[in-house]
Amino acid sequence: MAVVQRRIGAIFGLFFILLVLAAGRTAYLGVVRGSTLRRAASNQQLTNETVTALRGAITDRNGIDLAVSEPARDLAADPYLITDALGSAQRLAPLLGQSQASVLRKLSEHSGFVYLARGVPASRAAEILALKVPGVTGTPVMRRVYPRGPLAAQVLGVFGTEGRGLAGLEYARDATLRGRSGQRRVVSDAIGQPVSITETHAVVPGSSLSLTLDANIQQRTEDVLGAVAKVYSPKDATAIVMDPRSGAILAVANWPQVNPNDPGASPAGALEDRAVGFDYEPGSTFKAVTVSGALQQGLITPETPFNIPDQIQVADRTIHDDTEHPEETLTTSQILARSSNVGAIKIGGLEGASAFNGWVHRFGFGAPTGVDLSGEERGVTLPLAHYSGSSMGNLPIGQGELVTPMQMATAYSAIANGGILRPPHVIGAIGGRAQPEPQGHRIISSAAAAALRHMLEGVLAPGGTASEVSIPGYQLAGKTGTASKIDPATGEYSKSAYVASFIGFAPASDPKLLCAVVVDEPQAGSIFGGTVAAPAFGQIMSFALSYLGIAPG
Amino acid sequence: MPLSPIQPSGEPSAEPPRALRLPFDPLLTLAVIGLGICSIVTLRGATKNLIPGDPHYYVVRQGVYLAVGLVAMFAVSRLDYARLRRFKNAVYAVLLLTILAVLGIGHAAKGSVRAINLPLFSFQASELGKVLLILALSALLVDRARELRQRDTTILLMIAALIPAMLVIAQPDLGSGLVYMVIAYMLLFIAGASWRHLAALAALVVVSAAFVLVAAPAAGIHLLKPYQTERLTAFLHPSSGPRKEATTEPTTDPTYQQRESKIAIGSGQKTGRGANSSQVPLHFVPESHTDFVFAAVGERYGFVGAGLVLLLYGLLISRALRVLVMAKDLFGSLIAAGVAAMLMFQVFVNVGMTIGIMPITGVTLPLMSYGGSSVITTLLAVGLLQSIYVQARASAALKGRVLRY
Repeated sequence: MAVVQRRIGAIFGLFFILLVLAAGRTAYLGVVRGSTLRRAASNQQLTNETVTALRGAITDRNGIDLAVSEPARDLAADPYLITDALGSAQRLAPLLGQSQASVLRKLSEHSGFVYLARGVPASRAAEILALKVPGVTGTPVMRRVYPRGPLAAQVLGVFGTEGRGLAGLEYARDATLRGRSGQRRVVSDAIGQPVSITETHAVVPGSSLSLTLDANIQQRTEDVLGAVAKVYSPKDATAIVMDPRSGAILAVANWPQVNPNDPGASPAGALEDRAVGFDYEPGSTFKAVTVSGALQQGLITPETPFNIPDQIQVADRTIHDDTEHPEETLTTSQILARSSNVGAIKIGGLEGASAFNGWVHRFGFGAPTGVDLSGEERGVTLPLAHYSGSSMGNLPIGQGELVTPMQMATAYSAIANGGILRPPHVIGAIGGRAQPEPQGHRIISSAAAAALRHMLEGVLAPGGTASEVSIPGYQLAGKTGTASKIDPATGEYSKSAYVASFIGFAPASDPKLLCAVVVDEPQAGSIFGGTVAAPAFGQIMSFALSYLGIAPG
Repeated sequence: MPLSPIQPSGEPSAEPPRALRLPFDPLLTLAVIGLGICSIVTLRGATKNLIPGDPHYYVVRQGVYLAVGLVAMFAVSRLDYARLRRFKNAVYAVLLLTILAVLGIGHAAKGSVRAINLPLFSFQASELGKVLLILALSALLVDRARELRQRDTTILLMIAALIPAMLVIAQPDLGSGLVYMVIAYMLLFIAGASWRHLAALAALVVVSAAFVLVAAPAAGIHLLKPYQTERLTAFLHPSSGPRKEATTEPTTDPTYQQRESKIAIGSGQKTGRGANSSQVPLHFVPESHTDFVFAAVGERYGFVGAGLVLLLYGLLISRALRVLVMAKDLFGSLIAAGVAAMLMFQVFVNVGMTIGIMPITGVTLPLMSYGGSSVITTLLAVGLLQSIYVQARASAALKGRVLRY
């Protein structure tokens, strides 16, 4: 029996050792390694995710989407984790829409990170991730889509792969559109299913922009510019349609076009909005500014007769009219209608350099118009102190100063709306809240403006420089411009490179719509504002007047 | 039937004070009820999300199993275990037949056929077999009480244990098979088999383990299923398995199971994570209501909770060993030794597996793990202990009286 007693004792001993061992090991895990293991537990269950805010949409004045965001993913691979590069490439390539060779090249890079594709639409990205190719991951991002393709692309700009606007309104209004990304804490279970999601920082979605643009007028304007470009093969062209009463811009068109969904495919510089970024010598369209000043100062009336020779001597320079003609007597109206250089210089001479310089600045030249488009140039005006003896021989006819199409449209808006210079605008509402219309200030009397409008009707009347353009039922008014560009090689005015432009409005007595067309270096056929730009103005206005239901007058 | 002491005729019966004649061992009962409560409390937290829409599914069933088991325990404690000796052949036959029945008409679950689906629960013959085997082997040894140190006895007993063990391992239920062997070895040890036999058996175990795990696979013969080999050896190299991709089935990787279990117990720290538990409720720890229930205790109630459970097992097993010592006859001692061996092996292999010092063998944690067969079997075994205790007390009281008179 002693043997059995000893053996029972041994069992007790074994039992005690095992008990101590189990308790000791449990204590070791829970006390010594406790905090490490608790961190290990939360590491595999908790993730902090960034929630990208939905970028605000950009719409036209009727709510038509011009730029919208949708969830997408940036797909990346860690080539070090790719075991079967060829097989993976074969499976990935068709879904990525890339060649097998290019996918294989990416997967074979000696790097721990390579983008396979960026901004892949969410549904497609899900298909690709469902292949479960090891090492391929997707980061949620927002993808910017421009449903109307190239429409107003230079106004809208482009959205970069790094999540920022790179040009146009996307750039200028990035902070508004972007919103603020949020953070959330996701608890996942063992098979990776999220079981609880807590928002730690709320997402603030971006605000939408509602533009004053009208997609239909914009489309028509771009179509017309495209047709002009087809005929005259210019370097580029731009057109602005706006409501002169409020300064609301209805269309800003640029040629050549650019597809914001694939900006890389467009020619360099095509993304520039020339309506605000193109500095050019305005030529004859500037004569309206010269005449406005003299009219407002009471120096002339529309009927004031001028003796107009073929040419005029100013200091050491002789300036000719466009066509040779015998010395004749023209009224102010006729000077504008026929775009007489000699007449405009004579009127400028009546004002004198100082007053003329004052009018240039009152009309807003030499300063940004304040339009809410990005990339606005301010133009170049000659400071009064730098005027030479011959300056008053070219400045009044639109040579020697640089302006932007937007500055010209704004100045003509003041003539059209009865004398108020008002910064134009393209953003109607931000996040549903209407933006206050910019305040304007009076620069000429409404009588002077009315007289000028009446005079500008003559440009489109028989004998005017744009007499072929008319729209039945509507009295049009406007001014042609044909400015030769300075040849950078010689520093002289070129005999072949011109800027053809036309700015006008309708109905002439109470203008509700204004349109400016600027064609840079038309090459084939004609170079004149009256033949290149004015017909485009006519086509755009003809559509827009009836589209907007503006009563004939 | 409780034992009614034979009284000398004509002598007045001197009943001892009633308080001393509790019909069960109070400490043993306390341990069992304490563990049952721990099981219910733990399962309530661990199985809340297991069946969507029915958070109490496992708790209610485990409660029923415990209640049925306790009733059975008290019923058995009223029996004189000594009467069971006569039925040893029948007991052994039932043992083999039920195991064979499972192999024949059993219901497959998770890759093995271990149970027969009955209306209320699935009957796992290998669990009940543990108690049946203890009875049969103990009776066998008592029959050969005069030849305990002979080689034939050792061989006969080992054969009697190996047949059901092999059948059970074939299900495959390696854990129960190992329990059978351990029971047999313990019975030989307590019965006083010679050291040479015991050493030879131990050597045999080591050699066959080496053969099964190392030599045979090297020769291209796989006696164990690959997952069994992997489980048995995983604890030796805890960090070799990479973290499984979360979307694949994680519960099949033993390294993963053990790491998650250790993380669960460790993250419970001293007093537990309570309602903030994540390892178990989010299913990082697989089988947290059955094999890995100790991890659920550790995470939710920390070292305090795990320590309490270990203390209760300490009480339970020390009472079993106490019953072994106080039993009135060899049969009672051997039964108590078998039950103690079963409990010790299961507790320490199971707990050791969850804390990373034992291989994963799929043995349940007695009374804590969810499962009707396991719970009721364990309580039947405890009922036998109670019966041995009651009989021993009665017999001592009788002897005391005889001495006095």
